[in-house]
Amino acid sequence: MEQRNRPFPLEGIRVIDLTKIVAGPNATRMLASMGAEVIRVEWHDQRALDLLRMLRPSVPGGAPDSVNRSGLFNNLNAGKYGITLNMSLPQGRDLFKRLIAKAAVLCENYSPDQMEKWGLGYSELKQINPGLIYLQITGMGKSGTYNAYRSVGPTAQALSGLTHMSGLPEPMPPAGWGYSYLDHSTGYFGAILVLAALMNRRRTGQGCYIDLSQTETGLMLSGTAILQAQATSKPTERYGNRMPFTDWAPHGAFRCRGNDEWIAISVQNDEQWAQLVELMGSPAWARSSRFARAADRKAQEDELERLLSEFTKVHDRYELMEQLQRRGIPAAAVQNAADRCERDPQLKSRGYFTPLPQSEIGTWPVEEFPAKTESTPLSVGGPPGRAAPLLGEDNDYVYREILGLTPQEIAALREDWVI
Amino acid sequence: MEAPLSEALEKFVILETGDERGEFAALLLAMLGAEVIKIEGRGGAESRRIGPFLSRAGRTQSLHFARYNLGKKSLRLDFEQPQVAEVRERLASLVDVIVDSGEASVIDRRLKLYRAMRSVNPGLIVCTLTPFGLTGPYRDLKMTDLTQLAMGGVMASCGYDPSPDGKYDTPPIAPAMWQACHIAGAHAVLAILAALHFREITGTGDLIDLSIHETVSNCTEVAIPSYIYNRAVVQRQTGRHAAEHPTRPWLRRTADGRYVKAFMFWSRHEARVIGEMLTEAGIEHDLHSEEYKQLCERSPSAAHSHLNELVDRLAASMTSEELFHKAQAKGLLWASVRTPEENLADPHFVARGTFQSIDSPAAGRPLNFPASVATDGAKPLTRFKSGAPELGEHTREVLLRLGLDSTKIDRLIMDDTLAKV
Repeated sequence: MEQRNRPFPLEGIRVIDLTKIVAGPNATRMLASMGAEVIRVEWHDQRALDLLRMLRPSVPGGAPDSVNRSGLFNNLNAGKYGITLNMSLPQGRDLFKRLIAKAAVLCENYSPDQMEKWGLGYSELKQINPGLIYLQITGMGKSGTYNAYRSVGPTAQALSGLTHMSGLPEPMPPAGWGYSYLDHSTGYFGAILVLAALMNRRRTGQGCYIDLSQTETGLMLSGTAILQAQATSKPTERYGNRMPFTDWAPHGAFRCRGNDEWIAISVQNDEQWAQLVELMGSPAWARSSRFARAADRKAQEDELERLLSEFTKVHDRYELMEQLQRRGIPAAAVQNAADRCERDPQLKSRGYFTPLPQSEIGTWPVEEFPAKTESTPLSVGGPPGRAAPLLGEDNDYVYREILGLTPQEIAALREDWVI
Repeated sequence: MEAPLSEALEKFVILETGDERGEFAALLLAMLGAEVIKIEGRGGAESRRIGPFLSRAGRTQSLHFARYNLGKKSLRLDFEQPQVAEVRERLASLVDVIVDSGEASVIDRRLKLYRAMRSVNPGLIVCTLTPFGLTGPYRDLKMTDLTQLAMGGVMASCGYDPSPDGKYDTPPIAPAMWQACHIAGAHAVLAILAALHFREITGTGDLIDLSIHETVSNCTEVAIPSYIYNRAVVQRQTGRHAAEHPTRPWLRRTADGRYVKAFMFWSRHEARVIGEMLTEAGIEHDLHSEEYKQLCERSPSAAHSHLNELVDRLAASMTSEELFHKAQAKGLLWASVRTPEENLADPHFVARGTFQSIDSPAAGRPLNFPASVATDGAKPLTRFKSGAPELGEHTREVLLRLGLDSTKIDRLIMDDTLAKV
C-alpha cells in the first residue's frame, strides 16, 4: 500500500500497443506493471482483434459473442487501457498519428509490412514524433532475407534450435516446448529493449526503431550449444533431462505413486548420493561400487535411472520431495497448474496471484510481476489498477482526455465506424 | 542518428557477486553497455567448472563460462572478508547495481554487507536471485535448473504424447539448457531497469527479492489461466502445445530424416495452398475437389484427418529445408527444425549480424556468439565489448580506480585477500 503513494518507474510514459496474441502483449504487460500508460488499439474485425479474445480458457456465461471473457487475454493484458480504432480508414490512421504524437513508445507485432502499407512505418512516424521508440516484433526479424516469412512462437522455436534441443535422444523426435516459450521470452526482451531505449532517450532525447526477432531471441537462449558445435564440429544432440556437462547423476524425472505424477531429482555429488542411498534403505544395488563415484553413475545412467524409478514409483511425490530435501538433495515435485494454484504454499505466501477486477467478468486472480521490491512500485494492475480492458472500454478517456476531442466529435467518429 | 542500445547502460556499473544463477542477468546488462564487474573468490567462479569444456580431458576452458560472462570484468576478491571492508565501501560509491544469486541462506549473510553499502550509497540497487525468494516456507530448499523447471510448471507442459490408453510412458521434459536461469535472468533485468528508472525519478535505490520459482511459474502461458478459469489441466503432447484435449501433430518427418514444424490453423486457405504444394511435388490429392469441400462441410474432423495424412506425404517428399522455404513462400507458418548452430551460416542471420565473433581466452580461438536479438533496421542493436575475462584479470585496474594505491593493493595481495593479478 505504501508503494501506491510513490510514482511508478514509468510514470508518464505512454505506450501505444498494436500487439496481439502473446509476444507483444507480454512486452507491454511488463511495461504496464511498471506504470506505463499502455493503450491497446483494436478493432472489431478478425485482423485487428486479438485472437486470444476468442479462445479458451474463458469465463462461462455472458453473451455468446462476447470478446471479453478470455482468461489468457485477461492475464496477459492486465493493467492496460483499451480503445477501438479502425486503422483501415484514413480517418482512423489520422487519429492514430495524433496518438503517436503524444506517446513515447509504439509496440506492434502485425505482419512485417502492414504498417508501411498504412503509411505508418518508422520513417513516417519519426517525422511526427522524433523521440518515438518503435518496437516491432516479428518471428524472424524485419530486416534480412526472411523479411516476408511469417511465424508464430512455435515456428521461431523450431528455427532457433530450441525445439530440437528439447527431448529424449534420437530416435525419439524432439519434444520441443509445450507452449510458446518464445512468445514469453520475446516479450521479456522487447520490454528490456524498450526500457534500455528509454534510458537512452533520457540522455539523448532521441527515440529509435527496434526490429526484434523471436528467432534471434531463441538463439540467445540456446545456452552453449552453438559454441560447443563450433568447438567440436559435432551437431547439437538432445539429452532428455540429463546433465551431460557435469557429473550430476541421477538427474531426471522419476515416476511416483499416482497417475502421471513425477519427481525431479538432481544429485550433484557423492555426498548427496550417499544420502539418497541411505534414504532408500541402502539396497545392495545402490551400495554397489559400480555406482559409488559420480563418474561411474554418469556412465551407467540408463541402469541407474531404471533402478531409482523402482524406488520412487511407490512414493508420494511431495512426501519424497520433503524427505530428499531434508537430506540436502535437490528434488522437486513436477507441478502442474492445479498444483501451483491449489497446493504450492510458497506461491501463496508470496502473494503470487493478485485479484484484479475486470468490467465484465468480475474479479479474478492474475499472475503478479514476479519480484518483490522495497521501493520501486511494480504492480500487474498497472495505472488503472485492474485486469484487461474490455474491447474499446477506454474510448472516452483516450479520445476525450488525451486527444481532446469533444463528445460530438467522438459521437461522429462512432457513427462513421472509425472508433 | 539513433544511439545504439549497446551504449544504453554505459553510465552504470554493475557488481556481480553470486553464482551461475545470476550470470545471465548480468550478461544482458553487459550486452546493453553496462560495465559489469564480476567478483570471483579464491578458486574463481563455480561456472568456470561447468561444461561443456573446450577440452574434455582437461576440464578447463569452460564454454559455459565463456558464454555467460561475455563483456564482464573479473575482480578476484574474498568479498565477505573483514580485511576488504574498505574495498567494499569504495565499491559502494562506484556501483549502481549489485546482482547476487544463490541460496537464500548465503544471500542473508551478504545482505548485511549490502545494507552497509547502501548506507554509503542510498541509490544502490541490490537484486537477489534465489530459488524461492528470501521469504516463504520453501525458501531454503535446494534447487537446480531441472528442479526449478519441475516445480515452476514448465516440465508438466513439455514432453511426449501419452500412449493410446491415455497413460504417459515417458517423463515430463525439462527443455535444454539452463532455461530457469534464462527466465529468471530476464525478469531480473526487467526489475533492475525498472528500479533504475525509479531511481532517475526519486534518487532512491532498492532491494529486489527475485524468486526463480515465481519467474518460471510466470512463464507457462495458458496453463495457469486454463486452471483458474476452467479448472482444466493441460496435457503434454509431442512437439506441440500442451492442451486440455488432444490436438493434431505439428512435427512432420521429412525425406532427409529430419523434421519440419508445420504449425496449422486447419483452415480452408491452408488446405488450398497445401494442395498447390502437393501438385507441384507430383503427389496426387483431392484437396481442390468438390468432394473434399463437401467433406469439410459434412465432417470437419474427417477432413482434417485427411489433410493431416496428405501433409505427412508432402513432408516425406522433400528435405526439411526445402519444405520450410516452399511453405513460407506460400504463406504457411512452417519452419525447419534446426539445430541452433545451423543458423550460423544462414544468410538471414548473417545479414542481421546476429552473431559476433569474439576472441575468448576460455575458448582459445574466436567463436561466434549470439549477441543480438534486434536490429535498428540495418545493423544489430547490441554487441559485447569483450570476451569472458581471465580470473582476476581486472583486479588491479578496478582497485586502482577505487582509489587504492599500489602499495595497499600489493599488501592485500600478499595477505592473499586478493590473489595474484
